[in-house]
Amino acid sequence: MEEDKYNIVCFMCNWAFCQEEMQIPSGVNVVRVMCLGRLDPAIILETFENGVDGVMLVGCKPHDCHYIDGNLQAERTVKMLKKLLKLTGLETDRVKILWYSPVEEKSFGYYAKKFLKEIKEIGFSPLKSEALKSKLLVNVLAAKNAASDFRLRVLLGREKELTEGVNVYGEKLSAEEFDSLLDEIVTEEFVRHKIHVLTKTQPLSVKALADVLEMKTANVLRHIVNMRRKNMIALDHVEGTTPLYRALEVK
Amino acid sequence: MAANTQTKVRKLPPCRAACPAHVNVQGYVALLQRGKFKEAVEIIRRDMPFPAICGRVCFSPCEDACARTNVDQAVAIRALKRLVADIERETGRVKPEPIPKKYSEKIAIIGAGPAGLTAAYELAKLGYPVTVFERMSEAGGMMRYCIPEFRLEKFVVANEIAYIKDLGVEIKTGVEFGKDITIESLQNEGYKAIFIAIGTQLGMKLNVPGEDLEGVINAVDFLRAVNLGKHVEVGEKVAVVGGGNTAIDAARTAKKLGAKEVMILYRRSREEMPALPHEVELAEKDGIKFYFLVAPKQIIGENGKVKAIECLRMRLGEPDESGRRRPIPISFSEHQYEVDMVIPALGQVAEISCLPKELLNKEARAPSLKVDPTTLETNMPGVFAGGDIATGPASIIEAVGAGKRAAVSIHLYLQGMDLRSGREEVEETTWVKNWGYINKKERRYEPPVEKPRLSFDEAREYLEKIKRQAMFEAFRCLGCGPCAECLANLELCEGDKAVVDESLCIGCNVCAVVCPFGAIKKNEKEIAQVNEDLCKGCGICAARCPEKAITMKKSPNERILSLALATIRG
Repeated sequence: MEEDKYNIVCFMCNWAFCQEEMQIPSGVNVVRVMCLGRLDPAIILETFENGVDGVMLVGCKPHDCHYIDGNLQAERTVKMLKKLLKLTGLETDRVKILWYSPVEEKSFGYYAKKFLKEIKEIGFSPLKSEALKSKLLVNVLAAKNAASDFRLRVLLGREKELTEGVNVYGEKLSAEEFDSLLDEIVTEEFVRHKIHVLTKTQPLSVKALADVLEMKTANVLRHIVNMRRKNMIALDHVEGTTPLYRALEVK
Repeated sequence: MAANTQTKVRKLPPCRAACPAHVNVQGYVALLQRGKFKEAVEIIRRDMPFPAICGRVCFSPCEDACARTNVDQAVAIRALKRLVADIERETGRVKPEPIPKKYSEKIAIIGAGPAGLTAAYELAKLGYPVTVFERMSEAGGMMRYCIPEFRLEKFVVANEIAYIKDLGVEIKTGVEFGKDITIESLQNEGYKAIFIAIGTQLGMKLNVPGEDLEGVINAVDFLRAVNLGKHVEVGEKVAVVGGGNTAIDAARTAKKLGAKEVMILYRRSREEMPALPHEVELAEKDGIKFYFLVAPKQIIGENGKVKAIECLRMRLGEPDESGRRRPIPISFSEHQYEVDMVIPALGQVAEISCLPKELLNKEARAPSLKVDPTTLETNMPGVFAGGDIATGPASIIEAVGAGKRAAVSIHLYLQGMDLRSGREEVEETTWVKNWGYINKKERRYEPPVEKPRLSFDEAREYLEKIKRQAMFEAFRCLGCGPCAECLANLELCEGDKAVVDESLCIGCNVCAVVCPFGAIKKNEKEIAQVNEDLCKGCGICAARCPEKAITMKKSPNERILSLALATIRG
C-alpha cells in the first residue's frame, strides 16, 4: 500500500466542485474553497512545510469563472509560487493548476489520478524524510514568510492594475517587465526571509550567512542593512571585530 | 407609504426581480452548472408550482431582463427550466409528502387556474386546509383548456397539478361558482377566507356587422372546444383577427386541424404584436400568413355562412397608454379576403354574472373586480381576488405572482395581522457596470422542437448530451446579482462574506483592485469597507490583503489550512 503514503492536497473551486462525479483516489484530499483566487500562497507553502507531496489547484475554465477573473488571480498566485518553489529547492511541478468544469467528459477523478501519477514520478516530498528536512525546512519557511510579506502581496494584488492600466506617471508596465520585477522581488524577499529564519535560532555573522546562502558577503550585507531598516533584524553582539545579528520578532 | 415602515427591500438579480413570481433563476442556473437537475427543480418549486408549464409557455420576462442581453443573447432560462422539469418528470418524480395541517382555518379558492392553484399551493405549504373549486371537469384553467396541446401537453399540466394535490390541496371539479356555491354558502360552510381567481373566460367581440354568421367562432371558445376533444369543423380558408398568443394558438390549431389557408389579421405592425416572437416564427414555419395594419370592417355572409371578411387598412399614429402606436384607419381602403371561417382573438373579459354586485368595479375600462393592488383585498372582509379577474387578461406567470401575493394576504388576514406588514419590495441589483470585460458566448441550448424517437441506449446517450448542453448554457449565466444563496441550504456553497479588521487596514486599496465586483472600497477614513449587497464571498480580497486585515467569516485561512492538512495530521 505504498500509494497511500502519498499525500496530495487538491484545492477546488466551489463552482467546479461536483460531488457525485468525483472518484477521488486515496491519498488525495479535496478542499473546497469559494474561489481559487481566494487561496493565499502562504497556505500552499504551509501545506508543503507539513510534508504534502503535491498541491493541485482546480478552478473553473477561464471564461466560466463565477467571479469574473478569480481564476486569473489563482494563476498569478501559482506563477509566484513556482518562482518561490524554485528557490526553495522543491520541484516546481509539485504545484499544478487545472482548469476543470463539471461539464467536461472526463471526471475529476481522471485528472486526480493523472496528477498522482505525475507526483509519483517526482517522488516523495523531501520534507518527509528526516535527513533532507532540516536543510529544506528553512527554505520553505523562508518562502512562506516571503509570501505573507507585505511587498510580495502588494505586488501580486496590483499586477492587473500595473500591467493593464497605467501608473500615475502615465507609464505602462509590460508583462515581461512585470515578470522580471517579480523575479527580482521574489528573490530578494526570499533571501531576506531566509536570513531572518536562520538568525532566529542563533546570532550569525555576515560571513557565516554568506556561506549558508552561497552569496557574496557584500550582497548579504546589503540585505542586512535593508532588514535593519525594516526592523526585521538587529545587532546582537560583537565577537572580536565581527558583528552578529539576531532576528527580531516580526508582527 | 410613509407609515409602512415594515417593508423590507430585497435585492435581487435582474432576472429574479423581473419575474412576477420572483423565481430564483440565478440559483437554479447555478445548480445546473454543476449538473444538479433535481435540486434545480426544487429551487423553482420554492417560488412557484409550475416549472414544466412555465418552461414551455412563459413569456419569460427574466430573459428580457437578463444582463447578458447587453453582450450577446440572454441565457436560455425558459428552455433550461423546461429541461429540468421534463427530466424530473420523465425520470420519475418523487411524490411529495402531504404537508401537515398547522392551522384549522379552512380556505376556499374559486378557480383552478394558475392564480388559484398557486395560492392553494402556497397556503398548503404554510399548513392551511385548502379547497379549490373548479367549474370545468378538470383543473388547470386556461393552461388546460386554452393553450393547445402542441404548445403545452396536457399530461404536463396534469402532472404539475398532481404535485399540488399531493401536498394536500383538495380540488373539487364540476362546481360552478354563482350556481352551486356562492360567497355566502362558502362562509356558512365555515370557510374563513375566500380567494376568487376565476379569470377571464369570455372572448371579446369584434363589434362589426356579420358577427352572428355561421363560421365565426371566438378563439377562446374554439380552443376550448378543441382541447375538450370535441369535433370542430374548420373551414378551408380561415382568418384569425388579433395579434396575441391566443391568435397564434388559434391559427396554428386551425392549420393543424386541416385548414388549407390560415391568415392572421392584425391592426398594428409586427413590432407591436403582443405574441412571443418565437411563437410567431413557429407560426410562419407552419405556413400561416400574416397581414399587418388591417382591421375588419364587416363580415360578409352568403346563406347565413361566412363568405368574406372586409377590412380597412390602418396606419400608425401616436403611442397610446399601452405604449404601442395607435392604429388609425385609412379611409376608402376597404378590401376583402375570401374566407369561410373567422376567429376573433381580441382578448378576454370576465364573466361577471356569477359575482356579487358589491364586488364589481364600476369604472369604465377597468378590470371587472376592484381589489387593492398590494393586498388583493376586495371590499368584502375575508374575500380576496387576483389573477386575470382583477388585472385583465395577462399571463400565467403574472397570475402565479398574484396567487403568491394572495396567499401572503390570506395568511396575514387569518392570523389577524396587518395585511401590509411584512411585505417585501424588490430592487434590482447587479455588479455589472462595465460590459467590456464580459466575453461573448453563443447560446448552446434550445429545446428541440420535436423529440427524436430513439432506442433505450440511444435515449440515454441523448439525455447525457442534452444535459451537457444545458450545463454549457448555464455557464453563460454571469451570476450578476447578489449572492443567490441557492446552494447554501443544499450544503453546496458556504455563502461567505468578507470582514475587514479596521485596526489593521492601512488603506492600500489592493482589495479594491482585486475585487471582481467592486464590492470593497476605501471610505473617507481610508479604511476598506465591504458593500454586502455586491459581495459574493469569493475571498480574493482576503487572499491578497497585504496586512491580512480581511478575513472570511466562514472560511478563514486557518480553516482552509486545517482541512488541507487533516489527512496528514490525522
